[in-house]
Amino acid sequence: MMSLAVADTCFLINWLSFRRWEGIFRLFYRILLPSIMLPELRSRRVRGKIEELVYRGSLVILPRADYVDREALRIFNLVNSTPGLPRIDEPEAYGLAYAALHGLPLLTDNASPKVAARSLSSLRGVVVYDSLDLLTLLYRGSELRAAVEEFMSDTSIIFSRERLREAGVEL
Amino acid sequence: MSRREEVARLAKLLGLELDVESYLKAVEECAKRMAGGAELRRRNADWAYIESRPEPLRTALKLLVETGDVKLVSAVTGIPPETLECERIEARIPRLVV
Repeated sequence: MMSLAVADTCFLINWLSFRRWEGIFRLFYRILLPSIMLPELRSRRVRGKIEELVYRGSLVILPRADYVDREALRIFNLVNSTPGLPRIDEPEAYGLAYAALHGLPLLTDNASPKVAARSLSSLRGVVVYDSLDLLTLLYRGSELRAAVEEFMSDTSIIFSRERLREAGVEL
Repeated sequence: MSRREEVARLAKLLGLELDVESYLKAVEECAKRMAGGAELRRRNADWAYIESRPEPLRTALKLLVETGDVKLVSAVTGIPPETLECERIEARIPRLVV
């Protein structure tokens, strides 16, 4: 089991909608959510789940720090100035910068942090996992296939053909 | 100025050490995988659900079908990203992970 990971809000919302959402805590003892992402969470249902996770120690809210903001702004500017890359927003750039500065994995389904992490020396060492990466870490063979189908049905997330091929999943 | 030079200049300006070649290659691959995303969203969305939603949610969901970008639509419409993400799931608007 890896100990900690930083998560993006949309990633967390999608995982909390997945019927096997508890599986994420077989991979990570604790998930870190930057406080800059908290205003994005407003519904009673999601906030209730977040509060429950905080209460049982599975989720920690990270305070905002200037030195992370500075790095986040540079990543934000580079990614959002590159045509062809999906946009990255401030909270997600903050999450990526925090993960890089502390040597932690980042959980997001946005492709941009993965692309940036492969080419930026300041992000060297940060591992970016998307939902399919986590599912392949959690399950094998026919169980993986079933989990991917359930995940796609529960969250309306579709994995590209290339991603499925890379993960060795045939649907 | 070529795209390569433009990105290299921007990285230098931001004080970032960037492997421009691998970055542009990854960007190109990403764009290739994302192509056709709007058509996929239009085809799979539950249009009856979208049309049943009150404004400004209805317009926001239509914008989401076209752009696929929850956070951009949130910034434009003022609807929190979490509300939009939950509505996206209800409206069966696919999010393509590449």
